[in-house]
Amino acid sequence: MATKAVRPKKRKIAVRGPGKTPIKLIVNGETHELLVEPRRTLLDALRKDLGLTGTKRACDEGTCGACTVLLDGKPIYACMALALECEGRSIETVEGLARNGKLHPIQAAFIEEDALQCGFCTPGQIMSVKALLDENPNPTLEDVKRAVSGNLCRCGAYPKIFKAALRAAELLRSGS
Amino acid sequence: MRSFEHVNALNIQTTVALLSEPSTEAIAGGTDLLGELKARLRSPQRLVNLKTLSKLREIRYSPRVGLRLGALVTLAEIERHPVVQERFPILAQAASSAATPQLRHMGTIGGNLCQKPRCWYYRNKLFHCWLKGGDICFAEDGENKYHAILGADRCHAVHPSDLAPALIALDATVCVVGPEVEGEISLEELYTKPTERHRRMTILGPGELITEIRVPPPKKNARGVYLKAMERGSWSFALVSVAAQMSLEGERITDARIALGGVAAIPWRARESERLLVGQEFSEELAERAAEAAVAGAQPLRDNGYKVPLAKSLVKRALEISIRERSDM
Amino acid sequence: MPKVIKTRTEFEGHVFEEYVVVEGEGLSAWDAQTPLRYIGRQIPRTDGPERVTGKAVYTFDVQLPGMLYGKILRSPHPHARIKSINTQRAERLPGVRAVLSFKNAPKLSFRQGQTFLFDEIVRYVGDEVACVIADEEEIAEDALELIEVEYERLPFVLDPEEALRPEAPNVQPSGNLLNGKPDIYERGDLDRGFSQADLIVERTFRTQCALHNCLETHGSVALWEGDALTVWDSTQHIFGVRAGLAQLLGLPLHKVRVIKRYMGGGFGSKNGLGKYTVIAALGAKATGRPVKIMLDRHEENLAAGNRPSTIQHLKVGARRDGTLTALELKAIVNAGAFCTWPPSVGGPARQLYLCPNVKTEQYTVFTNTGPLSAFRAPGYVEGTFALESLMDELAHELKIDPLELRLKNYAEIDQTTGRPYSTKGLREAYERGAKLFGWKALTSNPSPVAHLRERGGAVGERATKLRGVGMASQIWSGNGMPPAYAIVKINPDGTATVVTGTQDIGTGTKTVLAQIAAEELGFPIEKISVEIGDTQLGLYAPLSAGSMTVASVGPAVRLAAHEARQQLLDVAAQVLEVPRESLAICDGLLSSPALKEAVAIKDVLEKLENFMIIGRGAREPNPEDVAVNTFGAQFAEVTVDTETGEVKVERIVAVHDSGRVINPLTLSSQIEGGIIQGLGYALFEQRVVDRNTGVVVNDNLENYKLPTALDIPEIVFEMVDRPDHRANNLGAKGVGEPPIIPTAAAIANAVANALGIRIYELPLTREKILKALKRV
Repeated sequence: MATKAVRPKKRKIAVRGPGKTPIKLIVNGETHELLVEPRRTLLDALRKDLGLTGTKRACDEGTCGACTVLLDGKPIYACMALALECEGRSIETVEGLARNGKLHPIQAAFIEEDALQCGFCTPGQIMSVKALLDENPNPTLEDVKRAVSGNLCRCGAYPKIFKAALRAAELLRSGS
Repeated sequence: MRSFEHVNALNIQTTVALLSEPSTEAIAGGTDLLGELKARLRSPQRLVNLKTLSKLREIRYSPRVGLRLGALVTLAEIERHPVVQERFPILAQAASSAATPQLRHMGTIGGNLCQKPRCWYYRNKLFHCWLKGGDICFAEDGENKYHAILGADRCHAVHPSDLAPALIALDATVCVVGPEVEGEISLEELYTKPTERHRRMTILGPGELITEIRVPPPKKNARGVYLKAMERGSWSFALVSVAAQMSLEGERITDARIALGGVAAIPWRARESERLLVGQEFSEELAERAAEAAVAGAQPLRDNGYKVPLAKSLVKRALEISIRERSDM
Repeated sequence: MPKVIKTRTEFEGHVFEEYVVVEGEGLSAWDAQTPLRYIGRQIPRTDGPERVTGKAVYTFDVQLPGMLYGKILRSPHPHARIKSINTQRAERLPGVRAVLSFKNAPKLSFRQGQTFLFDEIVRYVGDEVACVIADEEEIAEDALELIEVEYERLPFVLDPEEALRPEAPNVQPSGNLLNGKPDIYERGDLDRGFSQADLIVERTFRTQCALHNCLETHGSVALWEGDALTVWDSTQHIFGVRAGLAQLLGLPLHKVRVIKRYMGGGFGSKNGLGKYTVIAALGAKATGRPVKIMLDRHEENLAAGNRPSTIQHLKVGARRDGTLTALELKAIVNAGAFCTWPPSVGGPARQLYLCPNVKTEQYTVFTNTGPLSAFRAPGYVEGTFALESLMDELAHELKIDPLELRLKNYAEIDQTTGRPYSTKGLREAYERGAKLFGWKALTSNPSPVAHLRERGGAVGERATKLRGVGMASQIWSGNGMPPAYAIVKINPDGTATVVTGTQDIGTGTKTVLAQIAAEELGFPIEKISVEIGDTQLGLYAPLSAGSMTVASVGPAVRLAAHEARQQLLDVAAQVLEVPRESLAICDGLLSSPALKEAVAIKDVLEKLENFMIIGRGAREPNPEDVAVNTFGAQFAEVTVDTETGEVKVERIVAVHDSGRVINPLTLSSQIEGGIIQGLGYALFEQRVVDRNTGVVVNDNLENYKLPTALDIPEIVFEMVDRPDHRANNLGAKGVGEPPIIPTAAAIANAVANALGIRIYELPLTREKILKALKRV
């Protein structure tokens, strides 16, 4: 390896924490101001600080998918993101889907196809399907399977989740 | 997680300085680090957020210099990039076989290459294992179905990355910066078996960072494949994985690079297999010998003996697929 | 007038005689002539909107003003005595409100005296040691690190066979064998049976320990208001939790309220009162604030129960024509540190086939590992794997088609009681399943499917995959039992509310109960609401387990609706001044030839101001003269990669008989879900305990592998769907557990068929496949 070093430069840096620090989160289009420690995950900020408990906490270590939300349109695990690192970015949760009391077509399709049993993984599954359909309005069965492959369902609703995603795509394409 | 301070990185220079301070860790995608912090395996007092270094998020390609991946490029970006899919399919295959869509949107290539082992003793706070500074490797005489079959010494953990074997097969290099270094090394050189004095799996020291991954343009008539055996259909670290990249002239193999994942503390380069292949015409018998050579010297533990035939099968299959796909052209 | 009667009930392979109080008039199940508007129809879940919008509040989501969080310190040792515990440093941490341990908490007996709430002896890695109550979860976790515990390590035993040796350390003071003796069942003359056999096949099977991994972990929120305790609990049995809390805390029942609204899975692991619930109640008492304790994923996998591992020595004798003459099972079950409810591993051997001479012997053994709990068809999943594997071996030895062998030994009457079955659709399940699957074509000579080589598409010219088919059958209870009560209230606006104390654990209970009430009342289903999951407002209903909710609670709801309907007719006849017998109710409208047009119920009841109709219903006793069971058959097709050991389940065909189908939509979810759990059990799920330390090394969802979306085969199923008129007034039986029972056995039989070699141990990992093929 070459020996030329990067000369470390000391510059004034903005340190936050370890105590609570103010942050702004944009969730489902609304800006929220809250006070959190840097160790607060996005998941706990949503659930505990904002009362948005639709996003579920099931493993808290990025191994189940129940906390899937969209960050700038991309599906991520909210339990593996620090809340303060999500400042200024668009966060979508399951609570943001239904508008004016009308279910989003994905939600309607999940009910119609019975794509859930206990329902605990459901918000995460729906957000993964949302991410897929936002990007690919005409997915194949294989696309759907891959899109929800990061969302475990212990009840085994998978076959119906696949059907619901395809049905939702159909509903969205037909504009209903 | 214990509490910590948080700083956004401003530029490489200040970042290197910050990371050189004690009890400071870098966070990029966070998918590996937060796991360790939540398990309280480590508790840095300060995290430096690299995601604000926007220069490290670029993917560039030119036919002459090849592919340049900033360290913050996510696995999802790699998997979906048209040039990667077309020119470096092994890399796209490896990226898309890793973890899940969500983790691939979060995880960065730099973090993926530097991730800590998934060994269940290492990851459990109840075991003060050798890699964490303890006296023994609990896997050696314990539960070791996921552990190393090749080259293990004091630690039997395996390197978990899917991208590392693929990038090594593609002859990639990485740019490293640090308080005392700046330069480019081959990816293979990044990895080291943990030793008594250096209980880590990369040569990176405090404050040292990967900034870019460079993949040379593919050789003429190069073909390759990434194969991964998992315990279930997806969302698993590799039991064994194989990245193979071959070049042919007519029926003759002119170049071969093979790297295995899941079998050793480092991505395992199968040099002897490569040597057997180069200059030869492909045959099933040759593939068989190359596969055998890939696991020569394997020393399985009680529960991981299956990895030997599995690695052999995958090597052989990877060679066959590479050859066949070429002949389909 | 209430009647006290003695009745026989069966729950998860255990049979009881018990007194029950019954009331109300008998109704018989709807016959084929009755037009049905809701029963048997695909009704989407009535609580679907809450569940898909994130509005459904699970126990994990309950947040109360001033609520504190509890985190439990757990034993790092498999067996130890706590010599001292110092909590002072933890207590001094800002934000910590209380620390509970055996030093300051009441000594409450748990698990029938096998342990205490906080015991000085810890018996497995994960056993409860102390609990910190703090303002934030993070603070509670920080405080756990400050508790100093000095342990005296004791010798431990992890393996059940070792635990049975006389020199093994005692896990429980009374010894390592539950009840000090094996549980033995015997009928006929075993020796004579084996002496009559032309062929005896004897094998040892092993099944692994499986973890439930409900996505919502176990947990509670406890709130005191004066001397009254309210607990939100993620439980399958609110009344059981109430009874347990009242007893342990010395509270009268009317001061304990247990609520379970939505729940993220149970699968049997949430059948009883958990320590976390009692600790939350004590913590809330100590701090004067509500306390929430939800286990984390690791705790869930250490301390919240499991399907225990088994070792089954199974021996079968048969005549040359396949007739069974004797069946003997000796099973060892690894109970873990505590056990009050052993699974019935011998159930399938005792019940599934016609066989006069049977003995089952079960040793339920304590070890220093996490305690077992019920897990979806406990015992029967394990027992069916062994029995149905052995039946296939027998068929192979006798050169009889596996399905023929099963038909040859078809039991027309219950083998354990000699009673006829109320209904038994297993023969039909076999026949329809075989047809749907194409069994005959796939198993007939001269090209047995096992030897059909897959064209190795991905690997050039070499063929690397073997294909195989297999099948297995299932017997299970599923008729539930009394007591179960319901009331149906008809409101003045013509809507109705069903009130009972059951719980919907994700099976669709609420929807099914609404269908039953709507059908009986003649109301549109939109006008029915179902209120469950609250001990203070609801009426007793049994635990949601044993596939018994529909068959236990459903009949009570129907009776309550029936009674309400009678009252409504009485009242309406007088208000409308028409003969009562002339009135009919349909779609919420009253009609009579004596009326010009149909009248809305609302229009009648509103004349009576706030008059409210209340109908009561109680589950009737089970019939005494017949056996009521559920049955099914599943067929599996697999491919096995001989080079990489990968098993891929390509297809499952299932046909089940659980009597009448109330809701084909929610039922199909249960069938598919059971099969998928069975697939995980067959192929990858396995708790791994470090042999040297007793630590569960895969207490997480990374290394405890559940099936993902990319593991799901094609699933085709049908129901026999014939009402069981003797079972209960619905003709319906449970379907929660039956579909998981035969899946692993069918897959294992298909793998054996593919390889021509049998693997006697689950799960069927790459390691076992490659070993069987002698590649390792």
